[in-house]
Amino acid sequence: MLKRLLSERPLRLPHIKPYVPRPSDPSIFWFNSERDDIVSDVVKRICVDLEPDRSRLEIALNDAAYHEIRRLENQRDDEARDRLGYWRSMIRRIGKMDDTEQRRVLHTIVTDMTRDVAGNFDPRVYRFARRAVPRLIGGVMEPRRLMAAAPQSLDRVLRVQGDVERLHHLQNEGSLVFVPTHSSNLDSIVLAQALEISGLSPVIYGAGKNLFTNPIISFFMHNLGAYRVDRRIRVGLYKHILKLYSQVMIERGYHSLFFPGGTRSRSGMIERHLKLGLLGSAVEAFTTNQVRRVDRPVWFVPTTINYSLVLEAETLIKDWLMEEGQARYIIEDDEFSQIDRWVAFFRKMVGMRGACIIRFGDPIDAFGNRVDGRGQSLTPTGRAIDPGGYVEQRGKPVVDAVRDAAYTRELGEVLAQRYEEDTVLMSTQVVAHVLFRDLVQSTPGMDLFARLRLRGEIGLDREALCQELGQARDRLCALEAKGRVRTSDVVKEDTPAELLERALKFWNGYHDSTAATLEGDRVVLGDPSLLLYYQNRLVSFAEDIAGSEQLQAACEIGKLGVHR
Amino acid sequence: MSLRIGVVGAGGFGRAIAVASARSGHDVVLWSRRDRELPDPIRVSTDIADIRDCELVFLAVPARHAVEATEQLGEVVDGRHSMVHVSRGLVGADLKTITQLIRDKTVCRRLGALAGPLVAGALAEGRPSGAILGTGFPDLTDMVREALGGAGLRIYETRDVIGVELASATVGFLTVVLAYVQEVGLDPSTLAVLATRGMVEVSRIGQTLGAKESTFMGLAGLGDLIAAVAGDQRPELRLGRALAQGVHLTNAVGEAGAYVEGIDVAGHLIEHARRLGLETPISSTFVAVCEGRMSKDDAIQALMERRVGKE
Repeated sequence: MLKRLLSERPLRLPHIKPYVPRPSDPSIFWFNSERDDIVSDVVKRICVDLEPDRSRLEIALNDAAYHEIRRLENQRDDEARDRLGYWRSMIRRIGKMDDTEQRRVLHTIVTDMTRDVAGNFDPRVYRFARRAVPRLIGGVMEPRRLMAAAPQSLDRVLRVQGDVERLHHLQNEGSLVFVPTHSSNLDSIVLAQALEISGLSPVIYGAGKNLFTNPIISFFMHNLGAYRVDRRIRVGLYKHILKLYSQVMIERGYHSLFFPGGTRSRSGMIERHLKLGLLGSAVEAFTTNQVRRVDRPVWFVPTTINYSLVLEAETLIKDWLMEEGQARYIIEDDEFSQIDRWVAFFRKMVGMRGACIIRFGDPIDAFGNRVDGRGQSLTPTGRAIDPGGYVEQRGKPVVDAVRDAAYTRELGEVLAQRYEEDTVLMSTQVVAHVLFRDLVQSTPGMDLFARLRLRGEIGLDREALCQELGQARDRLCALEAKGRVRTSDVVKEDTPAELLERALKFWNGYHDSTAATLEGDRVVLGDPSLLLYYQNRLVSFAEDIAGSEQLQAACEIGKLGVHR
Repeated sequence: MSLRIGVVGAGGFGRAIAVASARSGHDVVLWSRRDRELPDPIRVSTDIADIRDCELVFLAVPARHAVEATEQLGEVVDGRHSMVHVSRGLVGADLKTITQLIRDKTVCRRLGALAGPLVAGALAEGRPSGAILGTGFPDLTDMVREALGGAGLRIYETRDVIGVELASATVGFLTVVLAYVQEVGLDPSTLAVLATRGMVEVSRIGQTLGAKESTFMGLAGLGDLIAAVAGDQRPELRLGRALAQGVHLTNAVGEAGAYVEGIDVAGHLIEHARRLGLETPISSTFVAVCEGRMSKDDAIQALMERRVGKE
């Protein structure tokens, strides 16, 4: 009961005296004073769009009632008891309502939904979280140092790369939209910490309702500006509200974060096909500001989150292999919801140099062009251009949803390309790739699922393996020199034998199954699906880093990524 | 309303676009490396900066000159420009399309690829014809229709830009194949089998690069191939016939009278297909024939002996 109260309702701390933001505070500190205005702005735009056309309005109301009745009938919980009657009664009356009544109902539905989406920001919770989160995680990693200098543990594990100085400047000039790759539910926490240690402003983000099922996480989500996304709601209006809410926030200068991959990469591959909904909201925010002559540009920061060890790796790859990724869109029973897995995960990460690397890529404008430190959009040869030109028609900026949707598709392509270039390949991924490639090479003609059943049956000569590992690493470094991908310092600096040992140390003891083990001079492959998950990060590069002997196997691995 | 139109490239198609646009009453500037005579009111310029004031730019250079042309355009275009290319080629071994190249070299994003059975003569003289424009921007289609205008020209639209570009590029090679087969005197039924199965083969490869099968079966693919076989005097036809007469590839290219990109494109497609484990019997066989590695009889025998599958 308590858990439900905490997770379903926004728990807020009482206010004795309202906090008055200082000019030096990040934009998010103004959120609470603007929240009602933002909600009304979203409601007004939707109502203005729908009200003049009775048939569209009626379709929107029917769609809302139909989908909510279906959802609540399936849910059969307290919410269903409270709301099912309302929707059933409404769907019977829609056709009989006059224009005024229909508009009133629309206004009520949209206002309720927008209020449910809108977050809250409490500076006290923010300050507490800034201090407590690193200490908590550091404490889990090294209990003996809980009261001492715990945050350093986290800093050792988490490395930030990229031109942070440029982002510092840009965050004062316009709205930054961080668009990271997505591997784990830890991503938003890790990214928040990366922003904190880089001295960058906190961001708002849409958090799936499944994250609100944990009461502690829910409390922080509710009070740190996150807006709530309930993926169970299929109502067209609701999706419209989510996009518009994101758009209005970006228009108003709130720095944002969303994961264009939509959901965690089940396969472990770098995302290629991105969800364009929220990305489009940011492009439209740019257009709207241009049309209103508001000088507040929007810039995107392609960000990659690179783990040596992924908390939920086993569940994710299993899900991908079962092809249930779509059906089980919201996985609620994975490692993220198990505290003991968190403890095991963080303990494993500590002491492993650069176990997680956050890379902030070079910022780009809404049209995929590079942006310099002064916020100027640049051509490939460095000439500054006015991005406003993209939304002009006969010299005047205009709103055009179809055109902006096309720009958004283009932006999605650029981001997918940037994800590859900014991915930092970690030791476990490189080692897994070479091991998996050897598995493919030694089982010609076998299909993927037959290979995945070969647990403990393939043994490789350790010395030969290290030689292959060294060659693959050298070829990856050559790709890095061409700007195709990046590798971690560990991958660059360790000897192949050290790399192998490090990867085995990461995997073994954390994951339930064993990826590979050392048995004398041989490396015996354990659970090939675990190797597959980690090696999948390299599918785009498989052919480029293979020698002539491994080319056939590399081509087979490359094919895994064709329809990703 | 009159548009400001720029045409880059003064080959047959570039000149035809300039003439058609001027006939529709638009301001046209044609950029060429050399000074050329074109009918008034088309303005010919050798300074790429004159393209800066244009709203719509047609890129009408062969793929092998596209890198240089787009690099020059990159210095003058910005977000206000829309650009449409009419190239039938791809760039390099990694099968880069011309729109991908434009994206790499310029900041122009409103892009389109014009392809299909439309030929320069019909366009310049305003004879009835049709084409397909691959673009994600519907307003660009309206602009192109307005620019090239006329009741006789039907320009269809698709969002499958890469499909249009790949289909258009592969039709070049298939045209060489069909001209070869016609010249050696094989039956029309053989021609039909090679045309349809050849199109299926290249469309299968195209789909791995993100193209849609339907685009290959539409104006950009089969539609264009029908126009070629019907004999619209493309250089690919001359190349195919010369090869069938036993002329060596280098000399046959000379006889074609223009650079034919189809053979290079086919070679790169075969390599791509090989990496993905896809079969390319028709393309592989005819590339071998073109390069003199296989005789006509061996080629026909090799294709006829293959196991017949489902369509």
